[in-house]
Amino acid sequence: MLALVDVNNMYVSCERVFRPALVGCPVVVLSHNDGVCVARSNEAKDLGVGMAQPWFQVRHLQRSAGLVALSANFELYGDMSNRMMTLAAAYAPRQEIYSIDECFLDFAGVRGDLTRIGRALRAQVLQWTGLPTSVGLASTRTLAKLANHVAKTADRKPGSYPSALAQVCNFDRLSAAQLEAVMAATEVGAVWGIGRKTSAKLLDRGIRTVLDVLRADAVALRRPFSVMLERTRRELRGEPCLGLDELPESNQQIMCSRTFGEPVTSLAVLTESVSQFAARVAEKLRAQRSVAGALQVFLSTSPFRTQDRQHSPSATLRLVPASADTRRLAAAAARTLEAMFRPGHRYVKAGVVLVDLQPQGRAAGLPDLFGDDTAQPVPRRDGARLMGTMDALNQRFGRGAVDLASAARPPRRAAAPPASIGRQQMRSPRYTTRLDEVITVRC
Amino acid sequence: MSSHDGPTQLLRPSPENGPRKPRSSVAFSFGSPADDSGIGRLDLNDILIRHAQATFVMRVSGAAMREAGIDDGDLVLVDRAIAAAHHHVVIAIADEGFVCRRLVRRAHQMRLCAADPAVADIVVTDSAALQVWGVVTHAIKSLPI
Repeated sequence: MLALVDVNNMYVSCERVFRPALVGCPVVVLSHNDGVCVARSNEAKDLGVGMAQPWFQVRHLQRSAGLVALSANFELYGDMSNRMMTLAAAYAPRQEIYSIDECFLDFAGVRGDLTRIGRALRAQVLQWTGLPTSVGLASTRTLAKLANHVAKTADRKPGSYPSALAQVCNFDRLSAAQLEAVMAATEVGAVWGIGRKTSAKLLDRGIRTVLDVLRADAVALRRPFSVMLERTRRELRGEPCLGLDELPESNQQIMCSRTFGEPVTSLAVLTESVSQFAARVAEKLRAQRSVAGALQVFLSTSPFRTQDRQHSPSATLRLVPASADTRRLAAAAARTLEAMFRPGHRYVKAGVVLVDLQPQGRAAGLPDLFGDDTAQPVPRRDGARLMGTMDALNQRFGRGAVDLASAARPPRRAAAPPASIGRQQMRSPRYTTRLDEVITVRC
Repeated sequence: MSSHDGPTQLLRPSPENGPRKPRSSVAFSFGSPADDSGIGRLDLNDILIRHAQATFVMRVSGAAMREAGIDDGDLVLVDRAIAAAHHHVVIAIADEGFVCRRLVRRAHQMRLCAADPAVADIVVTDSAALQVWGVVTHAIKSLPI
C-alpha cells in the first residue's frame, strides 16, 4: 500500500501559519519577478484565478475582492517542507519525496489500520507545523494520487464526494460499489498523466470519467493513444507499473533525491551525490527550456535509528540571475550542503530541488535591478552551448558520461555568497531561516 | 530529538498523537542520543528543542511578561507540539497578531494573563475562540558583555 501525502495549497498554507489573518482571505503567491500566480488559496481559486495566470490579469481583484498577493518566499517554503517531510518519514518504512510538498509513503510490511495512520499523520503535521495536508491511500502511485485528489476535493467542496473521504481517503477500504461511484464522479483530467489534450481526445470517444477509462476496451485505447495511457489505465486498475522516475514531472519544481543504501558520514561522499543530483535536475530543467530561481538541498538522518543523533536540515539558495547551468547549480548545491553538514551524523537521504522555474528566454541575462542586497551577481559567460553538448553526450553515451569535476570531488570555497532575488516587493519575512526576520510577538 | 521521544513511536498509532507528558527535570528530560555515538560536546539543539519540526523562534517586544522572566528583546522558543495547558506561557493569536501571555483556566473561563498586573487580562469565554499558536518552552536573553 502507498500513501501520497501533500500539503494543501502549500505556499499559501506556509504564509498563513505566520499570518493567521490571511486564513479565509483569497491569497495568491507570485513568482517570476511577481509576474505569475504560482499558488492560490481555495478562496482565490473560487474567484477564478487560474494556475500560472499572469498577475496583471487578476490584479484588479485586489480592490474588488480583497485578493492578497505575496511574492514567493522560497526559503520559508523549503524549511516548512523539510519539517513536514521529516515528520511524514517516521510513519512508513520507505518515503519517496516527490516534490516540495508531496511524498509517497510505502507501507509494505506494515500491519494495522492505514486510514488511522493516515489520520494520525495528518493531525500531527497540522499541529506541529500548522500545514494542512491531504492523504490518499491506494495500491499504486496513480491511484494514491487520485485518492489524494478525492481527499482534497471532498474537503474543499462538500457534496463532491462522500464526506467520509475528506482529508484522508483510502481506496482500499471502499467497497467495489463505493469505488465505482468515486470513479464515476471523477473526470479523467484529474488523473495523473492525463493532460488536457488527452482528455479532449478521450471525450471525443465518449470517455469522460475514470470509470469510463476503466471500462473502455484496452485495444481500442491503445491505438490512438500513447503507451503511457495504457500504463495509466493499468495503474488505475491496481496494477503497479510506474516507478517514481516515470511519474509526470511537475512544471513548478524539479527534484532528485535518493535514500542511500548505507548511512553516509562523509562530506565528500555527500557532495558527490548532491552534485550528481544537481546535474540531473539541471538536465531536466533544460529539457523543459526553463531556468530555476532557487535551489533547495536537504539531508536527512534516519528516524528509525533512534540510537543515532538526528539531523535533517534543509536550505534554500536564491539563484540570481535564474539559471539552468549545471556548473552553477552544482556549485550552489555543494556550497549549501557544506554549510549545513554536521560531522558525526549518519545521513541516509539527500536531495536537490529546483523551484521558482521560469521560461528560459525571459529570465536569461535579466540583471538584478531590484535586488535588495548589495551583492551583485557576477556576470558569467552563457553556458547554454556547453550544457547542450553535455546533455547530448550524456544522452548518447549514458548518464554520467560527461560530468562536472565537483560530482567527483568537493569544491573548495565556491563563488560569492547568495545574492538576493530580483523583484519581490511583497515577500513576507523569512520567519524560520533568518534571525532578523523572525516573528515579533507582543508582550 | 531524544531517543525516547522520536516520532518513530507514532508507527504504533495512538488516538492521542500529541505530545507526551512533560517530564520533571532537565537532567531527566534530555537524555542525549550522543551518549552512544562518541560525540561529547553539548548541543543546544538537544538541550532546548524537544520537537525540532514543531519549534519556532520569535522575538519579544514589550515588557508585560517581565515578571515571568520574558523581557523586551528576548528570543523565545515556541513548541507547537505541546498541548497548551493551565499555567503555560503561550503564543496566542489576537487582533491579527501574536501575543505572549500566560494561559490561566478559571472555572469555565480561560484567560490570557500578562505578568504585569497593570495589563488587563484577555478573557476568553468561548474556548473555541481561543487560538493558541504554540507553547513557549524557553526564553533566551542576551546579557551585556
